[in-house]
Amino acid sequence: MTLFDLVIRSMRKNIKHYYLYFFALILSVVLYFVFATLQHDPSVVERSGGSMGAAFKVAGILLLFIAGIFVVYANAIFLKRRSREIGLYQLIGLTKGSVSRLLIIENSLLSAGALAIGIGIGILVSRVFLLLLMKLIGFDGFIEVEFSTAAVIQTVIVFLGITILTSMQMLVAVYRNTLLGLFNAEKTGEHPKKPKAIRSAFLAILGIALIAFGYWLSGRMLNALLFINMIVVLVTTILGTFLLFRVAIGWVLYQMRKRKKGHLGLYNSLSLAPIMHRMKGNANSLTIITVLSAMTLTMLAGVYSLYYSTEKEVRLIYPFDFAFDDFWYDDGKGAAEKFISELDKQQITYSYSTVETLEVDGEFEGGSVSELMSNSFGAYIISDKQLQQAGVDIEVSDSDAAYLYDAGIYWLLKTMEVPFNIELSNAEIEADMKVVKVSEGNALNTSAMTHLVVKDAFYHELKELFLNDENEWRISNTYAIDVLDRDQLAEASAIFKRINEEDDQHGFDYYSQYASGMENNGLFIFISGFLGLVFLISTGSILYFKQMTEAEQEKSSYATLRQLGFTAQDIMRGIVRKQVFVFGVPLMIGLLHSIFAIKAASFMFMSDITLPASIAMGIYVLIYLMFAFLTVGYYRKTVKAAL
Amino acid sequence: MMDQYKTVLHAQNIRKSYGTRGNVQEVLKGIDLRVMEGEFVGIMGASGAGKTTLLNVLATIDRTTEGSILIGDSDISKMKDRELSAFRRDKLGFIFQDYNLLDTLTVKENILLPVSLGKMKKRVAEDQFNSIADILGIKELADKYPHEISGGQKQRTSAARALINKPSMVFADEPTGALDSKSASSLLGTLEDVNKQRGVTIMMVTHDPVASSYCSRVVFLKDGNIYSELYRGDKTRQAFFQEILKVQGVLGGDSVDAL
Repeated sequence: MTLFDLVIRSMRKNIKHYYLYFFALILSVVLYFVFATLQHDPSVVERSGGSMGAAFKVAGILLLFIAGIFVVYANAIFLKRRSREIGLYQLIGLTKGSVSRLLIIENSLLSAGALAIGIGIGILVSRVFLLLLMKLIGFDGFIEVEFSTAAVIQTVIVFLGITILTSMQMLVAVYRNTLLGLFNAEKTGEHPKKPKAIRSAFLAILGIALIAFGYWLSGRMLNALLFINMIVVLVTTILGTFLLFRVAIGWVLYQMRKRKKGHLGLYNSLSLAPIMHRMKGNANSLTIITVLSAMTLTMLAGVYSLYYSTEKEVRLIYPFDFAFDDFWYDDGKGAAEKFISELDKQQITYSYSTVETLEVDGEFEGGSVSELMSNSFGAYIISDKQLQQAGVDIEVSDSDAAYLYDAGIYWLLKTMEVPFNIELSNAEIEADMKVVKVSEGNALNTSAMTHLVVKDAFYHELKELFLNDENEWRISNTYAIDVLDRDQLAEASAIFKRINEEDDQHGFDYYSQYASGMENNGLFIFISGFLGLVFLISTGSILYFKQMTEAEQEKSSYATLRQLGFTAQDIMRGIVRKQVFVFGVPLMIGLLHSIFAIKAASFMFMSDITLPASIAMGIYVLIYLMFAFLTVGYYRKTVKAAL
Repeated sequence: MMDQYKTVLHAQNIRKSYGTRGNVQEVLKGIDLRVMEGEFVGIMGASGAGKTTLLNVLATIDRTTEGSILIGDSDISKMKDRELSAFRRDKLGFIFQDYNLLDTLTVKENILLPVSLGKMKKRVAEDQFNSIADILGIKELADKYPHEISGGQKQRTSAARALINKPSMVFADEPTGALDSKSASSLLGTLEDVNKQRGVTIMMVTHDPVASSYCSRVVFLKDGNIYSELYRGDKTRQAFFQEILKVQGVLGGDSVDAL
């Protein structure tokens, strides 16, 4: 019998062991290939100029790392399960060299098979992903997925690399381990020791304190040390999480167990005891899974919120569909009228209004508001009546105070206590003004100025105060146009763009900002969703694989328990408890981490993101729970077959 | 003499076959066996005689193909799986050759496992544990893990686990198979004491004549049938041992060669 025959025979016999590793390989190939296909797809390339291309590249590298780590991890579990077999080959007289060759031939066959199947599946599903991507970035045209040779080559190269890596892993397993070690590898598991009381208590409290500090700091990061703060938060929470798993949880479990004084009971014997038994070895992977889950959750929730709120946020910055003013245009009125006549020609219905603004200089009183912004600003004072006439729903309640609008610095001002005073001036006269409310978004489309909206009567008082013959330029008009039929908005936007180009003007309108926002955020959400899915599948699978191995190791215990007269249902109840811990604790801590992270990142949003963030988290939890159910199913099968 | 005792186990015409159509192998060929309260029964026989199969069937771990088994008043051959589990937990105790202790649990936790879902109160269980652990001499090992104790101690733990729920009957499958001779005789002596002092009925499968000489009765199996039976009566253990050897010599088989 040649070595190759032996390979084929052992593969046929071991199919149960292989399928786990094979599945992990195929999954990685499919995901990577789909990603590579999209990266090379002409319709994506065409739309992904500049930032999008870069995003794809970064995501590709990230994906490469995840796929690599995932496959290496699955291979490690796979090798551990087969260590007895590897030992047996050596026992019957195969040299280490032949055993290595055998394993490497096997590995190459498996990888080649996984590549072929994975690329096959990838070709089938990449169309779905492309459609999803195009839908997300708001493209409705017909899309044809082209078979991409470049994607195939890229995938093959990547997995060739990964196969070399796993082969080296196998070499290490063969050469580094003694025969005895190989035979006992499956039995290894540490034995819980009595924790050293003072040291453990100290480390446990330190871990919790680190996490608490990280949470606390995450709410106070917005100052000049923003970047350092972010790193400190990251390091303290990760370290705290590790200590939590390594020491704190073990310590709590130990205390719980000690209290039972030997009367542990069946359910605890199947949950508490094996968890403690493996806590040290599992601390690393649980920490990694928790941190990865937290990052994925944060990324998904953040990006989904971004996508979800695009329309609202753009509307907040651009309250009018189109606006012409004398700040951006040489002749605002002329440009507006030209635009209107074009709209008339295309039979687009619209509303047209003029809003008068008074320009003054402003300064925040009482020192600096934030190190991240200047204390003085240019301001437009606007009458609320005129805004209402233009269709903006703003009403100022106080007769001598202003509502402040500035989308650019809203995230810094929103935490300020109102009312506060600002100082206005026109270079000659100075006057104090009370701000009673900092509102989200802008009052006019112009982002260059801070908008102070006041009662109409107060507006005229201020106009009288600041205006004289020499500075009539301080009064200017904004000509606002809203398209009535929303279906004609895209057409109107195209006209707007054409006119601007003709007259060499730079103006921004609501629709084009919205469209490009959707396109950017759509791509963003797609890439992060894709990566999130990969993270989720990898972490879920790793937990599943680990639990599968544990189930195999504990099979004899289940047989004993069945013989002692416990039913499969009794045993399953204990096992479900263990799974609640194994899956639940990393998920719960990950969720908690991500809630704080999202809260810290919420300054980026003007609108409330509780809903979209909750939806994203809900979906994540659902998919994650599927792995828990799969695991419980596997245990059920093992327990039932035990007797 | 036997009539004054209560019957604990009564097996009638037990048959057990394995395999599928065309390739059926009958391992037990109609065995009748009656065990009285307080007996210490040894089952002997060559490899393949059906010892372990008989034990498994009597201990409700396996099902018979034919025949009825009464333990106490319950006909276990008619019970459903669920009832069998409850029955095992409440009425039977088990000692296995390779101990079958859970290595994630301490000695005490292992011993108390069988009473965990039962009705026994914690205080009663604690008393029960103390008295059994005393008899078996493992009380000071209570907080040790199985990997920290010797084979003999493990088997004592296993025996304590079998006795904790005051079973009507204890089944032992080659309990000394993995022990050295000193630990083995010490364990058997303890089992004998437990049998005599606490009146626990024990059925033990073994191929070791020394082990079976501790029994009050030895049943010999051959090819799935009962070949003969020996009662110890008032004989010394040494004399009983010689008698067992004689029967085994007639019976033939590997265990004689092994001596």
